[in-house]
Amino acid sequence: MSGAAALDLRYPIGGLFVVLGLLLAGYGAMTHGDATMYARATGLNINLWWGAAMLAFGALFLALAARAGRRATARPAMETPEGRETERREHEAGLET
Amino acid sequence: MPVAQLTSLDYVVMAIYFAVVLGIGWALRRMMRTSTDFFLSGRSLPPWVTGLAFLSANLGAQEVIGMGASGAKYGIATAHFYWVGAIPAMVFVGLFMMPFYYGSRARSVPEYLKLRFDEKTRTLNAVSFAAMTVFSSGVSMYAMGKLLNLLLGWDFDTSVLVAAAIVLAYVLLGGLTSAIYNEVLQFFMIVFGFAPLVWIGLRAVGGWGGLRYRLGQLALDRGLPADALTHTWKGMGDAATNPIGVEWFGLMMGLAFVLSFGYWCTDFLVVQRAMAADSMSAARRTPLIAALPKMFFPFLVILPGMIALAHGSDASVGGLATAGTGMIPPKLLPSGVPMVNEQGSFVLDYDLATPMMLVRLFPTGMLGLGVTALMASFMSGMAGNVTAFNTVWTYDIYQAHIRKGASDAHYLWMGRAATVGGIALSIAAAYVAGAFNNIMDFLQLIFAFVNAPLFATFALGMFWKRSTGHGAFWGLVAGTLGAALHHGLTLARGSTPGVKGGYFATLHLYRSELAQTFYTATAAFLTCFVVTIVISLATRPRADDELRGLVYSLTPRPADDSRHWTQRPAVLASVVLGMTLLLNVLFY
Repeated sequence: MSGAAALDLRYPIGGLFVVLGLLLAGYGAMTHGDATMYARATGLNINLWWGAAMLAFGALFLALAARAGRRATARPAMETPEGRETERREHEAGLET
Repeated sequence: MPVAQLTSLDYVVMAIYFAVVLGIGWALRRMMRTSTDFFLSGRSLPPWVTGLAFLSANLGAQEVIGMGASGAKYGIATAHFYWVGAIPAMVFVGLFMMPFYYGSRARSVPEYLKLRFDEKTRTLNAVSFAAMTVFSSGVSMYAMGKLLNLLLGWDFDTSVLVAAAIVLAYVLLGGLTSAIYNEVLQFFMIVFGFAPLVWIGLRAVGGWGGLRYRLGQLALDRGLPADALTHTWKGMGDAATNPIGVEWFGLMMGLAFVLSFGYWCTDFLVVQRAMAADSMSAARRTPLIAALPKMFFPFLVILPGMIALAHGSDASVGGLATAGTGMIPPKLLPSGVPMVNEQGSFVLDYDLATPMMLVRLFPTGMLGLGVTALMASFMSGMAGNVTAFNTVWTYDIYQAHIRKGASDAHYLWMGRAATVGGIALSIAAAYVAGAFNNIMDFLQLIFAFVNAPLFATFALGMFWKRSTGHGAFWGLVAGTLGAALHHGLTLARGSTPGVKGGYFATLHLYRSELAQTFYTATAAFLTCFVVTIVISLATRPRADDELRGLVYSLTPRPADDSRHWTQRPAVLASVVLGMTLLLNVLFY
């Protein structure tokens, strides 16, 4: 038993990018048409477009995590044939305390 | 006077990111029951997680800042570090070496050496590795503190201590799992922070065509062929026609073979991530999955440096090398006066290429994201070093020599204590780096010597059952001496004898420091290889029975437990190598 079963990593990743994407895209929408602000970025409203890209990416990760929610994503080592085999070897080699 | 000002929105972006980082550590705190959980994530992680962590663990300051700097110095040829260096080595470690690391159930790379050779070889590797990780994490912190101070006017001590405290908190709470989870998060953060930089940067210089045109002018100013900065292989026939100043043989032998294989196949910092995978097949796929995004990293980390060099260099006025240096500021002397070389042009501070792009091109909002990505890269490097350090210290030094046979709970406690100790030592190293620049150069050099011969030891250990502990130990020592000897007899153009080499005599002058490094590594490898073989033949070999699972010829081929052919390591490896070959051809 370890962290993999406790927390599907896709939730925090998806959540972070959804929040950051909303924040930047929202700010980009508010400042749309501010030519002086975006002059440095070759006139591209980078906040809006990149924020939207991050939002889409975050939503995709949340969807993947939700879909996998019903099945466990990680198997403890003892549940795989290899895991059992190596556990056995470890016992024989006396590597375990 | 700082270069840029962050607004409250930028700080909000930063705060959200760090809240998630600490939240991950908090969510995992209950999972750390045994020392295996803390040091090896209980060997339970899926391959996409360990793969991205494998990539991200060394994606510290050296890579993001250093590759940008090399991009400005050497152009697209810097991609050799990836396309003939890292990728083939990652494929090799996944296909051929991981079965022994993972299958032997060693808990660390030095422990594998103990199983395969003997205690003294393990200890030599463990001590030098532990010292090296503390030192490189200290350098990472120092670089971060200096950079944030210069760009944003932040206080050096505060930024170092706060970054260290965050890393300490999430590693203490969730051990290696927390470090790995955060490395994956940092990977996405770095990609999303730097990709728009390349996008806007390319728009600003007129795309790849515009970049080629402007860099052509600059290459001519440096006395190189016009396309030297935008081709990887074209000028490699002769050291004089490419910006790295090395010919193809030195590149292939020194970088592609010795340095890259030495790092990716033997460095516990990255191998530890694969050891945390949940099965042999997942462990073998870890470096292969990492290689897929890795091959595109040149576009993410090298291009910003090249664009910074080209940006603002007015291509219509050729020959103005002093003015046309784009966004990269000159190096300053302690008095604040720009440094000038003997030709009368400014000495550029290439390390600022990528950070300068960030603060010059990003508007508020994206700026917060970019600076956070930069901090994320520094911290992932730091956390990777600290988790590798606490494992090697606890298992290979403390348990092996100081306290054998204590309870598992005691070693778990020791691991947490070593985490605190490792961070404290890193902070100390950061301050030493600030006070004595030459000591740092000197240390870096020693570690280069220690690392260069390692791959010879591992290759002989895994693929030649006749090699012995005495051979491995003295081979490593001799390899280090061989590197020191070569370095002491050669010098790079423009260096003075001392830390840069030539302390015995100058028998040969290389065109660049990088060329000198490649040949130093080659000398170390060959010395170690020959000495290990000679001493092994003169000493008593170990019985075959003791080497099962540790040597290639005595180990059954690992069975693929993947149900589907698309998940087989060999298939993945072929795809990775094919794509890498294509990239080499496209940017020849």
